[in-house]
Amino acid sequence: MTAGSPQTNPTPAIGAHTRAAGGEWVARLAVGTESILVPVAGIAVSFALFGVFVALAGANVLDVYYQMYRGAFGSWFSFQNTLLRAAPLTLTALCTALPAQLGLVIIGGEGALVLGALGAVVAAHTLEGSSSWAVLLGMGVAACAVGGTWIGMQGALRTLRGVNETISSLLLNYIAIGIFKHLVEGPMRDPASLNKPSTRPIGEANALGSIPGMDVHWGLVYGVIGCMVAYVLMRRTTFGFAAKMIGGNPRAALLSGLPVHRIIIVACALAGAAAGLAGMEEVAAVHGTANASLIVGYGYTGVLVAFLARQHPLGILPVSVLLGGIGASGGLLQRTEHLPDATVNVLQGILFIVILASETLRGRFNILTPPIQKTQRPAAAAPPAAA
Amino acid sequence: MTETPLGFWGLPLALAGGALRVSAPYLFVSLGECLTEKSGRINLGQEGTLIMGAMSGYGVSYLSGSAWLGVLAAGCVGVVFGGLHAWLCSSRRVNDVAVGIALMLLGIGLAFFLGKPLIQPTAPRLSAIELGSWSHFAPVRAALEINALLLWGVAAAFAMRFFFQRTRWGLLVRIVGEDADAARAMGYDANRVRFLATAAGGFFAGVGGSFLSLYYPGSWSEGLSSGQGLMAVALVIFARWDPVRCLWASLLFGGAGAIGPALQSIGIIGGYNLYATAPYVFTLVIMVATSSARRTIAGQPAELTVAR
Amino acid sequence: MSVRPVRAPHTTTRRRAPPPVLEVEGLSKRFGKFQALDGVSLRAEPGSVHALLGENGAGKSTLVKCIMGYHQADGGHMRLAGEQLAPKSPREAQALGIGMVYQHFTLVPNMTVCENLVLARATLPLVVDWPKEHAALTSFLTRMPFKIDLDATVRSLSAGEKQKIEILKQLYLESRIVILDEPTSVLTPAEADEVLSMLHGMARAGDISIIIITHKFREVTQFADEVTVLRRGRGVGRGRVGELTTGAMAEMMMGGAIPAEAKGPAAGAAGDVRLGITDLQAADDVGVPALRGVTLHVRAGEIVGIAAIAGNGQEELVEVLAGQRPRSSGLVQISGASFEARRDEMRLRRVRCLPEEPLRNACVATMTVAENMAFRTFDESRYTVLGWLVSQKAISREAVKLVAEYGIRAPSIHTPIGKLSGGNVQRSVLARELEGEVDVLIAANPCMGLDFAAVAEIHARIRTARDRGAAVLLVSADLDEIFALATRILVMSEGRIAFETPIEGAEPAVLGKYMAGHGAHDL
Repeated sequence: MTAGSPQTNPTPAIGAHTRAAGGEWVARLAVGTESILVPVAGIAVSFALFGVFVALAGANVLDVYYQMYRGAFGSWFSFQNTLLRAAPLTLTALCTALPAQLGLVIIGGEGALVLGALGAVVAAHTLEGSSSWAVLLGMGVAACAVGGTWIGMQGALRTLRGVNETISSLLLNYIAIGIFKHLVEGPMRDPASLNKPSTRPIGEANALGSIPGMDVHWGLVYGVIGCMVAYVLMRRTTFGFAAKMIGGNPRAALLSGLPVHRIIIVACALAGAAAGLAGMEEVAAVHGTANASLIVGYGYTGVLVAFLARQHPLGILPVSVLLGGIGASGGLLQRTEHLPDATVNVLQGILFIVILASETLRGRFNILTPPIQKTQRPAAAAPPAAA
Repeated sequence: MTETPLGFWGLPLALAGGALRVSAPYLFVSLGECLTEKSGRINLGQEGTLIMGAMSGYGVSYLSGSAWLGVLAAGCVGVVFGGLHAWLCSSRRVNDVAVGIALMLLGIGLAFFLGKPLIQPTAPRLSAIELGSWSHFAPVRAALEINALLLWGVAAAFAMRFFFQRTRWGLLVRIVGEDADAARAMGYDANRVRFLATAAGGFFAGVGGSFLSLYYPGSWSEGLSSGQGLMAVALVIFARWDPVRCLWASLLFGGAGAIGPALQSIGIIGGYNLYATAPYVFTLVIMVATSSARRTIAGQPAELTVAR
Repeated sequence: MSVRPVRAPHTTTRRRAPPPVLEVEGLSKRFGKFQALDGVSLRAEPGSVHALLGENGAGKSTLVKCIMGYHQADGGHMRLAGEQLAPKSPREAQALGIGMVYQHFTLVPNMTVCENLVLARATLPLVVDWPKEHAALTSFLTRMPFKIDLDATVRSLSAGEKQKIEILKQLYLESRIVILDEPTSVLTPAEADEVLSMLHGMARAGDISIIIITHKFREVTQFADEVTVLRRGRGVGRGRVGELTTGAMAEMMMGGAIPAEAKGPAAGAAGDVRLGITDLQAADDVGVPALRGVTLHVRAGEIVGIAAIAGNGQEELVEVLAGQRPRSSGLVQISGASFEARRDEMRLRRVRCLPEEPLRNACVATMTVAENMAFRTFDESRYTVLGWLVSQKAISREAVKLVAEYGIRAPSIHTPIGKLSGGNVQRSVLARELEGEVDVLIAANPCMGLDFAAVAEIHARIRTARDRGAAVLLVSADLDEIFALATRILVMSEGRIAFETPIEGAEPAVLGKYMAGHGAHDL
C-alpha cells in the first residue's frame, strides 16, 4: 500500500531487484576482487620500495629478494621456521582485528601476550603433578582469562569512560611489560636461572608437542581455529551483526536498543583471550618458561598483520605466513647480506604505510563497479550540492 | 650516595633535578603535538619521529662535530616525518590513528637500521648550564644542571601561546581545528594548514628526540626512548591544548619519569621495574580522570577525534 | 592593512554607488553522473530582493555555491557589473563584494563573536591587536539595528542570534550582494519578519542586493521583488513578484499544482496514555542541562506535535527516548511501565523511532539496505538459524517485501544504504520502523530536505500508524508539518514544555511567541 502521488514510483522496486540480481552478483565479485587486488598490489609496491631502500643501503636488490625467499620458503626447514613465527601472529592479530569490527583501534596485543604467559605459568605451577592434558588446559584457560581481562578493561575504559583505546592500549603495554619484568625478575624468579631471569620451567612433560609430521607445535592449529571461529562469530552470528552495527554507527546501534557497552567489552575480552593464548603457546611450546624472550614484538607485528589483512579474520592466516616469512628471513639476511636485523622492521613499516595509503583507492575503480540502474531517480540529497 | 648531609631532602631534590632534566623531550614533543592537534589532527607517530630525530641528531653531530647542527638536523628529519603523516592523512578514508602507528613502527625500524653504525662512536654533546654553581652540595648542583634546549623550549611554549592568540597564522590553525567547514567557507584550505601544522609539529618532536641522544642519556642506543612520544599525546590532553600548560605538565611528567632513578639514588633499588611504569600509570590515570563518555573536554579542538 | 570604517546602511551622509548587477547565463554543473544545474539564468538588479524558489533538490544551493566560488561551473557564464565573474573560492567572491549567509552556520562555535567577525575578513594583519579590533567592532555595532554581545562564545548563542551575526558579518565585510540560504528556517515567525524587513529596507535604500533562497511562498510575496523558479536543476520561470500569483509560482515549482495533502479521516478519540514523561532532565554534550524537567504524555491514537526552534532541548529529548542519551533524572513510562530504551523493552512495548538525519542516527551507511532494514529483527527466531546464526536469506526476503511495499528505489537490496538518495533512506527507515504493530512512534523532523511528494507519502504513513492506534510523538521545526499532522501541539522552549494547545484554535503567531521564549511575559 504505497501512499503518495502516482508519479513517484512507476516501476515496482521488486522488478528492479530481480533485474539487478545479475548486477548484484557482479557487484559482489567486483568488491571481492578489489579486496584482494588492492592489498596484493600494495604488497608488491612495498617490496619495490623496500628494494629501492636496500639498494641505497648498498646491497644487491635481487640478492636480497632471493635470500628472503630462501629464508622464508626456500626449504622445508625454513618454511617450518616461518610457520613457527606465524603461529603467535595469527592470535595477536585477532587482538586487533576483533575490536576493529566495532570501530576500536586496539594495539595492546603485546601486553596481553606477556601477561597471558604469566598466567599460564602460574596455572602450570599450581596444577603441578596433574596430567599434562589438565596442565595444558589450565594454562590455556588462565592465559585467556588474564589476557581477556587486560584487553576487556581497555574496552570498558573506552565505552564507559571515553578513554581513547589506542593510547590506553599502548600505555598498558608498557605497564604490562613492567609488571612482567618485575614478577619474573623478582617474586616468580627461578633461583636456578642466573644469566637470564626466568620463572621455574613448566616441565618437559607439559610442553606443547608438535603436529605429527612437522616440527611446528600445535599452537599453529590454535591460531587457525581461532581465526575460523572469529570469522564465523563476526560475520555470521547475531553477535557479529550487532558488532557490525556498533562499528558502523553507534548511534544507530543505540537506537535499536543494543547493549553497546556489553558487546564492546565482550569483543575486547575475546581479543585479549586470543593474545593471551599466544603467550601461553610461546611458553608451553617454545621456551618452557616465562622470560624476556617473550617480549619480541609479536603483539606489534600482530597489529600489522591485522591491518594488512584489512581486519578480516580469514585474511589473517595468509598474511601471518607472509610476515612470519619476512621475520624468519631476517637472520639469513643478516648473515648473507650483512644487513642489520632492523631491516625487517623497515620492510614492515613500509608495508603498513603502503597498505594504509591504498585504502583511498578502495571504491575508486569504476571499471569494477556496476553502473547504477536507470530506475534510480537522481539523488535528491546525495551530492555535496544540495542544502 | 656520598656526602649528603641533605638526608631527607635527597629524594625531592633528585626528583626536581630529574624533572628538569627529563622534561625537555616531553616539552618539545608535546608542543609539537599541541600545534598539530590544534589544527584538528592527531599524530600518534610522534614516537617514531622522536627516535628518528634522536638518531639523526646524533649522526649529524658525529659527522659534523657540532651538537647544535645535530639538533637542527633532527628538526628537519622531524619535518619530513610530520609531512609524511600529513600527506598520508590528507586522503579520504585513511585512518589517521593507524597512520600514526605505522609511522611509529617505520620510524623506529628506520632509526635502528640507519643508526647501527652510531652505537659505538661518541658524538659531541650539548653542554649543560650550571644554575646551581652557588651550592656546596653536589646533588644540588647536579639537580640544577640544565640544558639550553630546555630554555628554548620554555621560550617556545610562551611564544606558541602568543602565536595562537594573536597572530594570523595561529588563528588560522585554530579555525581549521575547530571547524574545517567554516574555514573552507572563509576560503582557507584546511588540508594545507594541517599539513604545515603537522610538519612543524614534527620539527619539535625531532628536536625533542635530539635532546635524548645529545644530552641525556646522551648516547644512541635502541632503548633510548621509553614512549615519550606517545605520552606527549596524553600530556597535551591533560594540558587542555594550551602550550604554557604543556610546559608545567612536562615538568610533572618528567618528575614522574624520574621517580625510578631518584629512588635508586637514595638507595631504594627493589621494584625498579614497577617504578619505571610510573609515568605510564600516571598518564593513564590522567586520561581516565579527564575523559568522559559523554562530554567533550573543555578546550578540545572540535575537529579532533581523540577523546570521543 | 587596516579596516576601512564601515558606513552605516541607513545613516550615510553620502550615498554609496548602487550595488553591481549580477548576471548568470546558462549555468550548468554536474557532479559525477548527476546534473545539478542545466542552463540556469538569473539577473539580480541593483538594490532588489531576488527570490530563488524551488523545492528541495532543485539546485538552488548549487547555483549560489557556483556564484560564491565554492564550486566551479561546467558551462555558462556569470558577470558582475558587466565584468566576467568566475571566482575560484569564496574568498575571491567575498573580495568582489559577494557574500553568503549559509544555512548551516559558518561561525566557529568555540570562538567568540568578536573573533569570528575579525577572522572572516579578507585580509588579516600578521599580528592581531585585539583591543583595537574590539573597539572598532563596538563602534560598528552602534550603527547596526541588532545588538549582540561581542564576547559571547558562539556556541552559547541561540540559532536566531547566530543568524543575525551571520548577517552582520556580511555588513561588516561590506558585501554588496548578499545571498541568504533559507535564512528563516531557524527563526521564529516574528524573528523572521524582523530580519527580512530589515534586509528589505537596506535593499530599498540601495546599499545591497539580496538573493534569498526559499521554498516558502509567503516570504516571496512579502519581501521579494523578483523571483526565479528552479525545478530539477533547470530554470523554469521568472518574473516580478507583483505579477505572479502564488498558484502560478507553485505551478512552475512543481510542474503542476502542489499535491494537497489528503488529510484523510479525522483522528478518532484518543485512548489510554501510552507514553508518559515525568520531569525528565538530561544534559547535552558539554554538560549543560538541555532538558530541565519535561513532562508530557501521549495517548494511543493521537499525534502530539512538539514545536521548537533548534537548540531548545528537543533533539536531546528524542535522543533520550531513543536510548542515545542517558537521562540525569525523571521518568519515562510506556503504558505505565518504566522504560530504559533497551532492546527487549522496545520489542515488548513496540516502541519505534524515526529520528532526524536518518543516515546519522538510524542507519549504518556501509551496510546494505537489507541489513539496515533488519536492525530491529535480526536476532528474532524467524531470522536466525539455531538462534544465533544470522539468516541472510530470511533478511533478504523480508527486505524485498518492504522495498516493494514502500516503493524504495535502490539498485538492489544489497546496495550500501549510504548510496541511496535522502528520500529513499528515509523510506527505508520508515519501512523498518513501521513494520508490524506499533504502539509508540517517536518521529523527529522526518521530512527534512525531502521533496513534496516524499513528504506527503511519509505524512500519510504516520497518519496511518495513528489510525491503527499508535501514540505518536512528533518533534518538528516546521510549523506547517505540525499543523498538518498534530492532534495536540506542545511548544518546547529552553528545555521545558512552555505551552500546550489542541490543534483547534492554535495560532502560529502565538506558538511563535512561545517558541522564542517570550511566552510568559507578553500576551
